[in-house]
Amino acid sequence: MVVANTGDQSIQLNRQQVRSLFMGGVIPYQLKAVALPPENHTRVLFNTKIIGLTESRIQSYWAQMRFTGRKRAPREFDNETSMLQFLLRNVGATGYLPAGMDVPEQLTVIYTIP
Amino acid sequence: MDLVVLRALVVCLSFTLSTSLANAATPNPLEFSGFARVIMGYLDDENAEYVGYDNSLSIDQQSLLGLQADYRLSEEIAFTGQVVGYTDDQRSSGLEWLYLTYTPNSALQVKLGRQRIPFFNHSDSLDVGFAYPWLTLPQQVYDTAFFSTFDGVLANYQFTLNDWQINYEGYWGRFDDEIHLDSQDLDTQVIGLFGVNASVSYRNFNLRASYGQGDIDIEQDEATQFAQLLRQFGFTNNADWLNANGLLQFYQLSANYEDLDYFLRSEVTKMTGAGGLFADIDSFYISAGYNFYPYTVYISYGRKDLHFEHLANEIPFGVSPELDLLAATYLGILDLFPDDESKGTKIGIRWDWQYNVALKAEMTFVEANDAISNDYAVRDLGGFDGHAVLYQFGLEWVF
Repeated sequence: MVVANTGDQSIQLNRQQVRSLFMGGVIPYQLKAVALPPENHTRVLFNTKIIGLTESRIQSYWAQMRFTGRKRAPREFDNETSMLQFLLRNVGATGYLPAGMDVPEQLTVIYTIP
Repeated sequence: MDLVVLRALVVCLSFTLSTSLANAATPNPLEFSGFARVIMGYLDDENAEYVGYDNSLSIDQQSLLGLQADYRLSEEIAFTGQVVGYTDDQRSSGLEWLYLTYTPNSALQVKLGRQRIPFFNHSDSLDVGFAYPWLTLPQQVYDTAFFSTFDGVLANYQFTLNDWQINYEGYWGRFDDEIHLDSQDLDTQVIGLFGVNASVSYRNFNLRASYGQGDIDIEQDEATQFAQLLRQFGFTNNADWLNANGLLQFYQLSANYEDLDYFLRSEVTKMTGAGGLFADIDSFYISAGYNFYPYTVYISYGRKDLHFEHLANEIPFGVSPELDLLAATYLGILDLFPDDESKGTKIGIRWDWQYNVALKAEMTFVEANDAISNDYAVRDLGGFDGHAVLYQFGLEWVF
């Protein structure tokens, strides 16, 4: 599931918007994506189900974006716990968490992978 | 020289790796990053060269090291500098980028300074081999853009329309430097260089179209002097043909698809020049690949068709020895600018060994027609039969 620190609990994204958000595209809301490291299992699931690209392709995409000066890859956190702490402290921060995890009530689930 | 450059590369790489690992933990307003390629190649034909490779094993054609520094002054303003050191002596090492980025919001980005020209899909990331699947970009398309940087302004605007991501980009500026053709280095100026490109993405599809133009001025003293001579004798059409200057236009169209398992990439480009000495070039490539993480295998076909509007000799033979000499010289110059056609078919494999290190192996089957201008990837060293195979092995690194 994708969770965001947003005051507006009504925000719901579709899969395409989530993909854009995490690939540096624009979406109609002021959200900023953060990510987990490449070897993380939640990230692997997220890549497969939402981004639809292999990790190596995602890495080469960000290399192209960085060295053409276009976009920067989302900031990465070591694990789900440290990501959660960051999400709680930063308005607009958006990340993905494994389905079973308890979501604090300050955060909004804006997309759930079916 | 090869060993010295290589040693410098290795020292730089080990240094930057250790520092970047140390700096990875916290975000910093000043960030360093970089990319490196170590590419080894061998061409199985002693009568030709392809992308600089000949009949001996060499590592100093495409190997390079690029370092980038980004300094974020505020949320909106950042400075970026990039230096690239090439082992290929045809390319001048040094500053590739130095620009200021202004990002007032997530949709708009404006860059001011020296930067790469986004003519084609990979024009602005040519040197970052890690960013594309091939080991060597399809040369039939990518060796036709003679210059890769410009000084000016570039603006990028992106927005969504339903689930479509749309991106517009426009740039304007100038280029003033040497370009390398065959063994010649030509002082070149391009003024009024501007271009627009648009790309639309929907799910895993992406389409891009671009147009660019500039007013090119190449210093070619011999041709200019000879044209003056022709003009004195009244052969103005032939004199006018001996001109590489004027409007230069680039067109590009590409369609790409990729998912977890497959990718398909294709690009069609066209370049036209107003002057007679500037060829019209039509080229394209199409490539398909299959991913089985961490490996990618691919096949690719590219073709370049370069043609001049050769203007027939208008100088009469047999009237006087002077005119005969003039006509012979003109015909001799025409011969120096042959139409040139080449094809490249490649198969290759990429192995993403680490998240930031990829190893690649690639075989390119080169085919060229009789006339080879020697100004592009294929060079005839004498007696080349038009068929050669390039074997390459390489390491791509970003840090």
